[in-house]
Formats: sequence, structure tokens, C-alpha cells
Amino acid sequence: MANIKEYVRNKEGSNISKIVVDRDLCIGAASCIAVSGATYELDNENKAVVIGADAADDATLMMSAESCPTKAILLYDKSGNKVFPK
Amino acid sequence: MEPEKYKYLIIGGGAAGTSAADTIRQQDASGTIAIVSDEIHPLYSRVMLSKPSFFLGKIPFDQIWLKGKEWYDNNRIIFIGGKMAVSLDAKQKILVLSDGRQIGYEKLLLATGVRTKKWTVPGGDKKSIYSLRTLEDGQAIMEAIKTAKKTLVIGGGFIGFEMADLCKLAGLDTTMILRESYFWEPTLDRASGEMIETALQKSRIKIIKNSEVVEVLGNESATGVILKDGTKLDCEMIITGIGVVPPDLEFLQKEGIATRNSILSNEYMETSASDIWTAGDIAEYKDLLLEENIQLGNWVNAHEQGRIAGLNMAASASAPATAGQSKTPFKFVSFYTTQGAGLTVAFVGDVRPLPNRQVVLRGSPEINSYARILIVDNPSTNSGREELVGATLINRSSELTTIAKLIENNVDVSAHISELSDPNFVLKQLLK
Repeated sequence: MANIKEYVRNKEGSNISKIVVDRDLCIGAASCIAVSGATYELDNENKAVVIGADAADDATLMMSAESCPTKAILLYDKSGNKVFPK
Repeated sequence: MEPEKYKYLIIGGGAAGTSAADTIRQQDASGTIAIVSDEIHPLYSRVMLSKPSFFLGKIPFDQIWLKGKEWYDNNRIIFIGGKMAVSLDAKQKILVLSDGRQIGYEKLLLATGVRTKKWTVPGGDKKSIYSLRTLEDGQAIMEAIKTAKKTLVIGGGFIGFEMADLCKLAGLDTTMILRESYFWEPTLDRASGEMIETALQKSRIKIIKNSEVVEVLGNESATGVILKDGTKLDCEMIITGIGVVPPDLEFLQKEGIATRNSILSNEYMETSASDIWTAGDIAEYKDLLLEENIQLGNWVNAHEQGRIAGLNMAASASAPATAGQSKTPFKFVSFYTTQGAGLTVAFVGDVRPLPNRQVVLRGSPEINSYARILIVDNPSTNSGREELVGATLINRSSELTTIAKLIENNVDVSAHISELSDPNFVLKQLLK
């Protein structure tokens, strides 16, 4: 079973309703934090955790996931479809 | 015949070059873009090459690919792989590749990256000696550890630390050889270095400090080394992590582009030549937070600098007359983290232990949670203000973002020095 953590997003007008961090993949490169420090921080295991699921707009959230060097951030839309990585 | 020409030409297909191309395409839907890379691969995750999950095959190999061919096609980005840039005419705006191909440009980005330093000891060019930079390097090491039983790791930096950890995880008898008297000397203090050493030793990695290899033994392949004190060690393979050097920059110097062991830029990632930018590991940029030029190669910096260079390249192309107003500076507190042997290590901001810096210790090796916070008196006239410039964190990665924000916001901590040294004091309170 993959070690994943899910964060529900309720931002008004957003197409992204869930952020998932795959903790097995995450290496703490922290590029997601560079893109959106309001959304993520690291925990003491050096893994990204979501501290503000509604903090960023969709474009910034996409950018944060795209910047990850291990594709550890997965984004889902309201119908449950994965919008990143495709 | 007119040479092949692109509006935006990018040398380097790594994190910086690709991030720039991506950003340019978002700003300029129709401008032609090409990336020249000396590697044949589309963007892959260089940092994953030294991570256990990938290295030991726990996750599929294909996870390494960050951009597929369709991404380049969909974004109309021409990828010219396996070619080096060998000469430049900055006046005529023409770049020449290793195969003689000439490419014209309007805006040029130099995101060449750096190369691993050659190991110059006698015998240092034998087979079974590896360094780690490219995907092929990583694959060669992954193949070698399948059969080797005993490895030496040369150098105690990030690569050495990560490679020793994963060679041990792969079951190899692993010995590290460091020039320094402790890990990351002098960036870390001795106590931090010893925490790392203790953790590695608990993983049964052997560490030889204050030492150097003077000769590599063996015929075709390395079978051992001699250290400077005469000690002889056996091995079946050697991994070196001894630092990086720039690629050949002479053809850029000839065109008047300012270089050192780097390509110099201002805070907009502009080089000294017009219509030429730089980004990533090769860039020595003006850091607005430190007010000096620094070179700091890591994934996050490369990605962010590529984005800033891309924004500025597109802005200058779309409105040259107003470009001055539409430039975006690179202003960013950088960070880098690693993990291994049960420890996490994070560097935030500027961690050089310069004489004018006060170091506040937070936690201790005894509680297995230890940070060093570097503080300077504000250089401006507001004397008495004390501000963070950087921090090193062992098993305290959760404080990375808060410390980065404290640095970025120039928060005065002069009244909170004793609280900073209390490991239970919540740093976030200082942001309020």
C-alpha cells in the first residue's frame, strides 16, 4: 500500500478538489514550497505536507506539482479524474 | 541561405532550461522555441538519480521522466538533443553546434549546467570508477552495485553522503574517504558533522577522515587504493563526489560574456551581453537578499531561475521599449535538503559561517534534533536590528519554510535570541 496523504480542497471556482502527496516518492526537494509556500511545508521526515489546500489558485497549484522532481504531487478534479500527472 | 532561426534559443535541457521554455510558452503563444542539449534525453529528474527509492528499484524506472516527447510537441518546443554549443556570434546572433549546424536566435538562454570534476589521482581513470551527473552515470552505478561487494565513496558532500547511504542499503561494504575532519566542514559545525557521522556509522558505513587517495590500484579496473598515510584499501568499485566544474566557457568569453567558473548575471538573470540570459547551476547571480553575487546549484534554484529568465526573455521580446519596467527579479531564499542513514539535513538561505555572523544553536545532538541559525546585524543604518540569513537543520526540516520566510521578510529577531535557542519555541510566532 502506497504511503499517500490526501488533502481535500474546497476553493471556490477551483477545478482541483484534491491534492495528494505520495510520501514514498517525496524526497523533500521542496520545489513545491518554492512555488507556493502558502500551500506546502516539510515535516521532520523531510516530506511535503499540505498546510493550505485552498491557499493557491489552480495555475499555481499546477506549477507546484509540475516542479516536483519526483512527481510526488498528484492533483484531482471534482469528478475524481487525475489532472496531474497526466 | 538563411540559417535556421528561433525567437528563443535555450542551451541546456535540464531543470533551468526546460522551466524557462515552459514559462516562455505561457507568455508567448507563437514565438518559436528550441532547446539544445548535450544529452539525448527529454527532461528527467537528476535529483532522483541518488535517491534510494529510485536507485534500489522500489519505484518504476520510468518515474525518472518529467517531460515526455508529447510535452515538447504540444508546446511546440523543438528539442535538439545530443549536441554541444561550440561557438557563438553574439553580434550576428548565431550559435554553432558541434556538428556545424548554425542556429540563429533573438533571445538566448545559457543554462548549460555544470560537469563533475575529474578525479586526477594516478589511476583515477580506471574502469569501475564512477561519478554521478547524468542518467547514464546513474545507470552505470546501478548496474555495478548488482555485482560489486565492496565500494569506496570519495568525498563527504551531498553526493558522497547519499551514495554511501544507498550503496550500504544495496548491501555493499561501504567506506567513505573524506579530506575534511568532519562532514560538510566548514559549512556545518563539528557537532552537526559528528551527528551525520554517527548516523552513518550506525548504518555500518566506515568513514576515514583527514585523508586522501594518492593512487588507485588495479589493471583495467580499480581493485584498491593507497591513502596518503600509506594505508591500502581493497575495493571493487569507487564512486567520486568531489565537486563540479563548469563546461568550456571560452567561446562565451570571446564574445564578451562575463564569466568566472560560472556565467555572471544580475538579478534579472541577464548576462553582460545583450539578449543573453543565464540560469541554473552555471549562473552566478546577484542575490538581492545577500547583495552579492553567488552561485548555488540545486534543483529548486534551477527551476526558479529558469522561470525568471523565461519571464524576462518573453517580456523583452514583446515590448522592448518598456522592458525595463516589466523585468522580474530573482529574489528567493534558496533551500536544499537531503536524507540518509535515518537523518534529514536541510540548508536554508546562506549558510556560510562568515566572521560577522552569529550562530544560535537550537536543540542538540543529544536529542537528535539540532539546528544552527545564522544571524547578522542589519548592514543598513538601523543598527541593533538582527536578521536571519540562513540555517542548517538536522531532523528539523519542519522549520525550513518558517525560517525561509523570516529571512525573506527581514524579520528583526534581536529581542528573541534566547527564544531561538529554545528548541520548543515555535518559530512561526515570529512571523506574526
